[in-house]
Amino acid sequence: MQDFDIVIGLEVHSELKTNSKVFCSCANKFGQAPNTNCCPVCVGLPGALPVLNKKAVELVIKAGLTMDCEINDLAVFERKNYFYPDLAKAYQISQLVRPICIGGHIDLKDKSVRLNRIHLEEDAGKLVHGTQAIGTLIDYNRGGVPLMELVTEPDISSAEEAVEFLTNLRQKLIYAGVAECKMEQGGMRCDVNVSVKPKGSDKLGQRTEMKNLNSFKSVFRAINYEANRQMEVLRNGGKIIQETRKWDDNHGKSISMRKKETSSDYRYFPDPDLLAVEIPREDVETIKKSLPLMPDQLKSIYMNEYGLSEYESDILTKDKELSDYFNEVVEHFNNPKEVTNWILTEVLNRIKDEESAEIKISPCDLAKLLKLVEDKKVTRTNAKEMLTRIWENDENISSLEKEYGGRVDGEELKSIVEKIIANNSKAVEDYHTSDTPEKVFRWFTGQVMKETKGKANAQKAEEYIKELLK
Amino acid sequence: MNLKDLSLIDLAKAIKERKISSYDATKYYIEKCKENAHLNAILEIYDDALENAKIMDEKIANGFEGKLAGVPVVIKDNILYKGKIASCSSKFLENYVAQYNADVVTKMLDAGAVIIGRANMDEFAMGSSTENSAFGITKNALDESRVPGGSSGGSACAVAAGMCPVALGTDTGGSIRQPSSYNGVVGIKPTYGRVSRYGVVAFASSIEQVGPITKNVKDNAYMLEVLSGGSEHDETSLKMDSCNFLLQIKGDIKGLKVGVLKEIEDAVKGLEVEKAYNDAKEFLANNGAQIIETSIPDFKLALPCYYIIAPAEATSNLGRFDGVKYSKRSQNAKDVDEIYIKSRSEGFGKEVKRRIMLGNFVLSSGYFDAYYNKAKKLQQKLKNEAKTVFEKCDVFILPTTTGEAFKIGEKMGDPVSMYKEDLFTILTNILGTPSISIPFGKGKNGLPLGLQIIADNLNEGVIYNVADFIEQNLREV
Amino acid sequence: MSKTKITIEEVKRLADLSALEFTDEELASFIPEFENILHLVDEVKNCDVGDGQIDYPKHLLCSLRDDQVKESLPQEEILKNSPKTKKGSFCVPKMLD
Repeated sequence: MQDFDIVIGLEVHSELKTNSKVFCSCANKFGQAPNTNCCPVCVGLPGALPVLNKKAVELVIKAGLTMDCEINDLAVFERKNYFYPDLAKAYQISQLVRPICIGGHIDLKDKSVRLNRIHLEEDAGKLVHGTQAIGTLIDYNRGGVPLMELVTEPDISSAEEAVEFLTNLRQKLIYAGVAECKMEQGGMRCDVNVSVKPKGSDKLGQRTEMKNLNSFKSVFRAINYEANRQMEVLRNGGKIIQETRKWDDNHGKSISMRKKETSSDYRYFPDPDLLAVEIPREDVETIKKSLPLMPDQLKSIYMNEYGLSEYESDILTKDKELSDYFNEVVEHFNNPKEVTNWILTEVLNRIKDEESAEIKISPCDLAKLLKLVEDKKVTRTNAKEMLTRIWENDENISSLEKEYGGRVDGEELKSIVEKIIANNSKAVEDYHTSDTPEKVFRWFTGQVMKETKGKANAQKAEEYIKELLK
Repeated sequence: MNLKDLSLIDLAKAIKERKISSYDATKYYIEKCKENAHLNAILEIYDDALENAKIMDEKIANGFEGKLAGVPVVIKDNILYKGKIASCSSKFLENYVAQYNADVVTKMLDAGAVIIGRANMDEFAMGSSTENSAFGITKNALDESRVPGGSSGGSACAVAAGMCPVALGTDTGGSIRQPSSYNGVVGIKPTYGRVSRYGVVAFASSIEQVGPITKNVKDNAYMLEVLSGGSEHDETSLKMDSCNFLLQIKGDIKGLKVGVLKEIEDAVKGLEVEKAYNDAKEFLANNGAQIIETSIPDFKLALPCYYIIAPAEATSNLGRFDGVKYSKRSQNAKDVDEIYIKSRSEGFGKEVKRRIMLGNFVLSSGYFDAYYNKAKKLQQKLKNEAKTVFEKCDVFILPTTTGEAFKIGEKMGDPVSMYKEDLFTILTNILGTPSISIPFGKGKNGLPLGLQIIADNLNEGVIYNVADFIEQNLREV
Repeated sequence: MSKTKITIEEVKRLADLSALEFTDEELASFIPEFENILHLVDEVKNCDVGDGQIDYPKHLLCSLRDDQVKESLPQEEILKNSPKTKKGSFCVPKMLD
């Protein structure tokens, strides 16, 4: 059977994290009543004119800087003309000739994927397809929401790589504060171009495109399905037609969408309502300085400076909220290793059990708690109990400290141990005769903890028990 | 008080000094509109105009001051006035009620104006005779067998016939100046960006401007001051405040350097306007101006350049009229594609369709570089050529039209000869520079001809000075 | 210079892009008129602009609009001129998605 290489290019749309829309001052907000975040501009009323949002341009520059793109010194906006009910003006303001970012790359574990460009454009409205009687309803709330479109070179060669790329991209955008990438809200959507070619050949095959995939899982499935379909066609002596195909996630297959050939003639031309944007080098530098640390940079700090393992660093940087949390705890309690231990076990286990991403103890409180343990003001066991009470009941750490604080140690502890041993002669006898004396020993330590409400210095208590049982 | 001969400035003063009420003035002009209904210049007289005039009278009594306090104004039918129909003289927008105010409307209302009605025009401002209106032709105020020019034919006719002291027009390729010339009034196309386009239904965004049409030059300067000033709603508006243009009218043109283009000497030969144009040169020279021969070698290409850029932008600008959101939806449409195609085919007039098709031709793949891109490069070349003119001259002059107003129906069957109507006016839309048309001379039927005075960007003050000088002194020649 | 000719197919393609339709009679008169117009604009196609550059009107990044939300229009105002609305939305016949 003939072997093939798969060639994949992605076009990823991400909604930018701005307050207002890209060409008007309506709120950029999801989940509102239809057509309530709208104005003459985003509904395309006669006479309305677009006015570009500075933040949207800055965010695209930010995104570009995290991917080593070149930032154009002049960005131009064009109109892409076509009729569709979700497009109020019958044109989308986008960028063709001079996008904000050119080139760049995202590095995966085994390869670097080159980027073609990143540009800024406006999102379209939303269509809700009702019954025949209701018809299709149009809501322009999303119309004019700023979108960055990132286009890769066809450097990706498997569905796994595509997902790795998207995961990496998403992480970058969230870390840089560029986008929230809420897939379930359509905040990140992906068009996939797939082609196959005989193994080793350098001639690209005919490609097909699948638009608007809104989960990594459907990207993965769509690529595998489409690549297999194409290989099957070629093996049977058929030909691939360049076309847009619809990915049907329910049935797990792609379907040809017959489209009129004119629909691809978008008649781009510079939007005469908008001025080109001059982006001075200094502004780019300022934005560069404002960039927070990216996950790979954080990872290297965690491993090289904090001495964490790669596994630990990966977990901590997977999610910006978590690494932000970690960083803040470390800021107040400078023992990264200990913080990591607590976060990876106590914090993440609780989150896993609750299936909610919310960390219900402030970084400050967690740092205080760890400090109490370090200063031996509370025992480790009690600290965990305190954490539970803060997590579940939002209790105050200072009052908990009063309750749990103060260690039973030294002579005080010794006399308690003596008392317990004196009162339990049967157990003492068992200890000396039993096949499993360690069990009896543990019973004694349990009694000490019970008597001291867990405040006993556990190590010392064991020493005393051992000594007095001799 | 005799309102008939009162200028805009004098009317504003009289209302301010409460020698006449806004109510009476508004009533007078509304009556004039009704008396002249046969000219079909005004599509609608707003039913709340008198009420608004009354409110203004109260405000004025309470000390309100504004340059247009209580002054009746007419707007072109493509300018949005909230709550009022703005149809662009198109069947498609016959019932379209503006959902917001155009910036120019806001500025006029802030200055105290009473907007009394909307004026007829060529559909979507495409045309040079107002014959392309879906609501009937407008007649020339001075000869009813002739066109008023266009596309702001209703506005120019209304001012000329005394239906209002001032009307707003829009000028994409001569649409203020040509009808002003045909009706013997004064109209200016300001510097591109001088006036906000927000709320003006777009035809060709990169070259059009709103401007005033008035009975005389000083009124025009007075009105432009109200309309000017950058707007946060329009990126292409210039970020500067308005200025007092009247202050720049000095009553003297001694030493003024007036350019005449070599290309025009040839172009006017044998035209009806030839004598008036030559008289203008002589008049200016006799009054101390220095006539300088200069050249814009590609002058003649401005016209075809315009007929690429304007339709390209129009095609895209008019896409939003699709029968979905606000324009009239075809009763015969069964699905979305039919809503688009049938609504647009039924809603748009012939000339509009022609330009949409032309725009798509010059933008479509395979033709874009040869036409649209080439036209943009040519535009830049023309701008460079004009720059050399302004290095030597304060202003240059052009005729406004080739002759006096033509007969109704005369050019309707021949789009290209209609397009050539704009031969002399289009240049400054391509350049972006300000240009005024003032009456100068008469044609063979005794109808007015116009003279354009053109200055470099933002030099409207210089233009007004020359125009006012001519207006004040021409009788004495 | 030869006159640019335009075919029926070309006109139909433009009509398609324009979302317009023409009857056969309309087309018959449209084509010669359109060719005359093309003849006019062909002067640009055939002229010499040297290595002409397009100078984009531009402004600086820092002069752009600040990212501040302003009040939107009320829903009923937005929908006011629509030929058909339902459930606070513009409405068209059901489309296949």
